[in-house]
Amino acid sequence: MLDAIKVSKSTKSAAIALTVASALGFATLAAPAKAASPVTISVVLAAPPLPAPMLAEFTKATGITVKWTQLDWDSLQTKIAAAATANTFFADATDVDWSRVGQLGKLNWFLPMEKYVDTKALAADMPQLGSFSKNGHVVGIPYDASFMVTTVNKALFAKAGITKMPTTIDEYTADLKAVKAKGVVQYPLNIPFAAAEGLSTYWYETTGAFGGHILDANGKPLFTDPASAGYKAAAWMVNAVKTGLVPPGNINVADSQGQQTLMAKGKVASTFSDYSGNVGSLYEVPASSSVVGQVKYIPTPGLKGTAANLGNPDGIGIPAKAKNPEAAAKFISWFTDGKNMADFAGASGTARTWVGYFFPSRLSGIAILNKKGSIIGGDVLASMLKTSAAVFPQGAPAWYPEFSGAVYSNLHAAAAGTKTVDAAIKAIGAVATKLSSGK
Amino acid sequence: MKKRLDLLPYALISPLIIFIILLALTPAAFTTIAAFFRVQPLNPPTKFSGLENFRDILHNADVISSLGNTFLYIIIGVTLSTILGIFFAVVLQRRFTGRSILIAVLILPWALPGVVEGILWTGIWDGNTGVLNSVLKSLHLISHYQVFLGQNKILTILAIEIVQVWQITPLSTILILAVLQNIPDDLYEAAKIDGSDARKSFLHITMPLIRPGIAIAVVQAIIATLNIFDQPYILNGAASTANSLAMETYAVSFQNLNFGQGYALSLLITVFTLLVSVVVAKFIYKKVEY
Amino acid sequence: MQPRKSGFRRFGVGFILSWSLIPIYWVINTSFQTDAQISDTPSHLFPPTPTLANYKALLIGDGELQHMVRRSTINIFIECISATFITVTLASLAAYAFARMEFKGRKFFLFMVVMTMAFPTYTTLIPMYKIMAMVHLVNTYLGIILCYVSGFLPLATWILFSYMQSLPAAIEEAGSVDGASRMQVFRLIVLPLAMPAIASTAVITFLFAWAQFIFPLVLASDESTQPLTVIVAAIQGRHVVPYSLLSTAGVIALSVPAVIALLTNRFIVSGLINGSVK
Repeated sequence: MLDAIKVSKSTKSAAIALTVASALGFATLAAPAKAASPVTISVVLAAPPLPAPMLAEFTKATGITVKWTQLDWDSLQTKIAAAATANTFFADATDVDWSRVGQLGKLNWFLPMEKYVDTKALAADMPQLGSFSKNGHVVGIPYDASFMVTTVNKALFAKAGITKMPTTIDEYTADLKAVKAKGVVQYPLNIPFAAAEGLSTYWYETTGAFGGHILDANGKPLFTDPASAGYKAAAWMVNAVKTGLVPPGNINVADSQGQQTLMAKGKVASTFSDYSGNVGSLYEVPASSSVVGQVKYIPTPGLKGTAANLGNPDGIGIPAKAKNPEAAAKFISWFTDGKNMADFAGASGTARTWVGYFFPSRLSGIAILNKKGSIIGGDVLASMLKTSAAVFPQGAPAWYPEFSGAVYSNLHAAAAGTKTVDAAIKAIGAVATKLSSGK
Repeated sequence: MKKRLDLLPYALISPLIIFIILLALTPAAFTTIAAFFRVQPLNPPTKFSGLENFRDILHNADVISSLGNTFLYIIIGVTLSTILGIFFAVVLQRRFTGRSILIAVLILPWALPGVVEGILWTGIWDGNTGVLNSVLKSLHLISHYQVFLGQNKILTILAIEIVQVWQITPLSTILILAVLQNIPDDLYEAAKIDGSDARKSFLHITMPLIRPGIAIAVVQAIIATLNIFDQPYILNGAASTANSLAMETYAVSFQNLNFGQGYALSLLITVFTLLVSVVVAKFIYKKVEY
Repeated sequence: MQPRKSGFRRFGVGFILSWSLIPIYWVINTSFQTDAQISDTPSHLFPPTPTLANYKALLIGDGELQHMVRRSTINIFIECISATFITVTLASLAAYAFARMEFKGRKFFLFMVVMTMAFPTYTTLIPMYKIMAMVHLVNTYLGIILCYVSGFLPLATWILFSYMQSLPAAIEEAGSVDGASRMQVFRLIVLPLAMPAIASTAVITFLFAWAQFIFPLVLASDESTQPLTVIVAAIQGRHVVPYSLLSTAGVIALSVPAVIALLTNRFIVSGLINGSVK
């Protein structure tokens, strides 16, 4: 091959040699030059950058510069898996979703946070920290205490003569039927039946409302008995399609799509499992919504009285290949500070508000926020957060993504009518049993 | 001249070959070997497992359903994109006012980022608020909104594949158009003098001479449809009505973290692509000279 | 001459326009609406209250978002142009050898190159990432460009090979009579004749590179190298998807290739050979 290159010179096609040289030689030249100090850390999250003044404050206090990269959530999960599998650095701090805690913990893709942050002291002020721990290690620190919540379009309910909000699932179902019967809207209930993560989440929230859990502490399914909450929840959801409470097109509607094109347009009257920030960031925003002032959070209706809301928090952790774990830990401590999180949520005005941020993960942060009264529906939400429950209180199992895949594929098939609810539940149960037995 | 070893051709192909060996064959060799290993980060250690990955992957119900779906994607996609590609290329064969603009217009679907293509077509097909429903209803062609995606398998796959055909037809067209530009006008002139009409000229001059272009276009369409991912994933989620082989490769590798099985499935896709492509290329491809 | 009836052409032009432009029109239409208007039923065939807010949000100002969009547009441009240039150069040289010269291993090497097109994306993603990390090319332009070049070389070589092979045998003979070397024949005769194929290959390579997502997602770690496609995906919210903003980003992403195609497509259809070489 080298001979060939010499010959090529004689034929005046220098381009060849040049390109080969670039392929082989530039490799070393192109290695990124690393500045030793001051320290810069790379933070990659599925969120826009923090307000510039706040980042500047952090840099001033610690000497650490934050390079922020925003990716969409799906892409970020791919990137985390690819980087960990290839054993390569890509960020000093990045997303740890509650659903990936088990997986990331078992794979040792993230550094144990308890080594860098006094997590024991944090626990009392941070109710969701437990679900971010696995096998004695804290995989990530929750920074946004989102949860699932029921939203109702009160104007549409009122048109059907309903002014007292339902507190049980039976009342809720009856109210939806009344909204349909009175012709207020043809299909009052939004359930996103597209085979995607949002459908799994909806089922978890509904299972919680029916008073049960998905898996036991060993990861065995708790939903296969027809009398179990999970089974009843699935039957209720599928039945809502069959009885015309859910728009037929919803068979292929994803969570945010349903909220944006149906709920925010007043085409449906309620979303049983909605995102806790949506009233503020969607339904009250005139550019995105034609139901401004109409949609309210209600405590999730349960079997007998209102039920616990399902926690859906976002966390942040340090990948094993991080270049500056200490600096990243300093950032995470600052990032999850109660006062700062209250500021992200709008406690100190728009200049310090972080777009898309919902709720502090610390009780002390919420206390600051409540004092200022600066969040839409804050009073209802604060009490809901206190009773919000993790899907998996001991942290999600390592095989969660595969399990969730089985959940949404089968529930989708049941709604599409290609499977019975019973067959769908049996299939999901079989996957959980197989995965939890470690096969 | 011919007695010494002629080094010039080797010099000319060496940069290409170096690229291919370092950045295409090396990664592929890695995955080919890994396909015979148990590579499960959640279930270490990695160890040799023979054909186990292949056996397991072919017993995966989702993979089986995706096989059938992918077959439909290929049939629909290759047929449509090739017919449209030939049609578009023939329309653009001769000079006329506005041809340049038309070619620029033609490539737009290809240049649209995948995410935007996803929202666009979701908005078109949607069963609750979709544009297509809206238009059909205002034309009184339907009495109430229809569900195009997710209920009927064939309809779902057809709707999804139309999106991919929309995206890949520019490629087929350009490939065929380049070859079409090479056909000398004399041939058509001569045929016309012999009393041949446009249809006959197309069948007896154009079609035989653009075969190399069609062969490349068909192989490209096979590769694209065999690897369809974004369109079903965005338009129909992971549902088995329309899931594809490439989606299953991704799910097995990145969701289940069973990389060994993912590589095994990739390897099967590669072998299948090669077999089909070679057969098709042999069948259509024929060296032409004018 | 006009071998085709103008009725056929009119139908064809109308078909191409509607096929390509109706969906694209919908993206443009969406980009001038608010998210609330987009979800109205029946759909608005024209923006009811046209707004430039989405364009302003992405392009005008000094915020983080505008900065990301601008930077990633520069990145994608650099990556695609470089990859196209290198790919077309290397592929032309190799295709010339494959098409017009006899040498041992010709068929073997050609098949070896072309067959790599069959590798699915997810087969090579992780190993490619490992290789790039090994040579410290993660998050560099060069890493992304080399990855593109290796991916697009096979098709480019095949197109150019197929085209150069169909050129008349007379050209070498003419060259050898004039005493020209083979590289002179290549430069002075083959290259000009192959212009339509070279231009097509360049456009195809550029568009392939322009549409890349998963490789640059993994190979680029931050805004210094992330192309526009990755940034467009990144502006999807976690729970609220900004349809109108994404459509606007789509229009921006379309406009660069559209302009390039407009400027260069006369080379695709230059058809120099018509009747001039026997």
